Amino acid sequence: MDFVTLGGNLLGTIPLGDIVLYLTPFNLFLFAVLLGFTLLIALSKPETQVEATMHYLYNTEVKVGPKELKQRRFLSIICGIASAGAMITGDLFNFTLFMALVGILNIGIVSAVKQTSVLNSAFNYGLIAMMCSLPLFGGAAIILAATGTLSLAVLSQMPASPMVVFGAVLMLIGILGESGVAPFFASKAEMFRTAGSPYIVIIHLSSLFIIVRAVEILLLVLW
Amino acid sequence: MKIGVLWNKLAEPKNIPRLFAFGLGIILIVGLIVPLALNPDQLYVRPAPQEQIDDGLAIAPYDRGGEPLKEPGDISPQYPDNAESLGMITGYMSPLAEWVSSVSPYFGTSIYSSPGGLIDEILYYTRGFDTILESSILMMAFIIASWLSINYTMNRKNDEGEIKKDVKKAIDDSAKLASQIKANDAKARAKQLRRDN
Repeated sequence: MDFVTLGGNLLGTIPLGDIVLYLTPFNLFLFAVLLGFTLLIALSKPETQVEATMHYLYNTEVKVGPKELKQRRFLSIICGIASAGAMITGDLFNFTLFMALVGILNIGIVSAVKQTSVLNSAFNYGLIAMMCSLPLFGGAAIILAATGTLSLAVLSQMPASPMVVFGAVLMLIGILGESGVAPFFASKAEMFRTAGSPYIVIIHLSSLFIIVRAVEILLLVLW
Repeated sequence: MKIGVLWNKLAEPKNIPRLFAFGLGIILIVGLIVPLALNPDQLYVRPAPQEQIDDGLAIAPYDRGGEPLKEPGDISPQYPDNAESLGMITGYMSPLAEWVSSVSPYFGTSIYSSPGGLIDEILYYTRGFDTILESSILMMAFIIASWLSINYTMNRKNDEGEIKKDVKKAIDDSAKLASQIKANDAKARAKQLRRDN
């Protein structure tokens, strides 16, 4: 499928050597929304949780300390920028790199927390993210070997061979695991059960946007 | 097995990496029967395997021709307009590398010995943005690792609440164990008594 049919008129390109970022209204919209949200995160204060205690008449407050806040805010901002970059990239390998960056930042945002259950699920998510690098980069490499190119604009004009389909399936598996959608959501859902809302939400938002973009890329490659 | 039991197993974070690894393994096995064929019309040209070795070239799989700053080597990028002076340093080798390649026929078979210009041109000239991203992934990993090693979030040794919880759990456990032993003891005694009568 041509990317003009998917994203609207081509407004322009940003050439960086062989990696050409392209701007269509669809991609630009996703890019702008993510950047706007990242700005909100950079400015907002984190939320605090209150946990009820069983059998006793007091509550515990789960707060985000100043050191933890700095680390998590920094990683969330980078995560927002990385996922915004993934929205406008026009190169298959570039996209997988953005995806890997978002994956490791997601672990980082949660690893600053002090709750054991959250850290445990972050560890399990980290295991998946590590495993994902094989299908993610392997899929891109197989598509490169089958078609001889990585540029999405050229790939969208090529017919899909069985090898390209296999590469796309591998990439899809990698994206599914890395962004933690069903049936692999449990480890990622547990990660959200901690204080510091806006930083937690960027984990969710980045994987959501990347899934949308991945669908577009798979349509470009396969159709 | 009931489907509810399956869903409950899926909700346990510990099981997720195993499930994912299993699924990935299945897909990779299916991949063995997918017909794989290399498209010879590749980006960043690469001669057929063994071709240059059979020709007896000194820097065997990496010979792309060209003379530094005079004649461009053979690299075909996706967008030649974006990299106008591409190929100009493809053939560059340090004096040491030139000497080794004149002595040994196996110089090109290890990655550290490939003509410096070739990798530099592909990695940093045509695909420079990828290199930036790769190193930023590494940098983020180091930031996270150093934060963890300084603050040690998993440390529960001196946490008062944690200690209280652990002590309480240990007391509960031992009390439970004692009552279990007591119950078993009584059961065995009753059995023995029945046998005796």
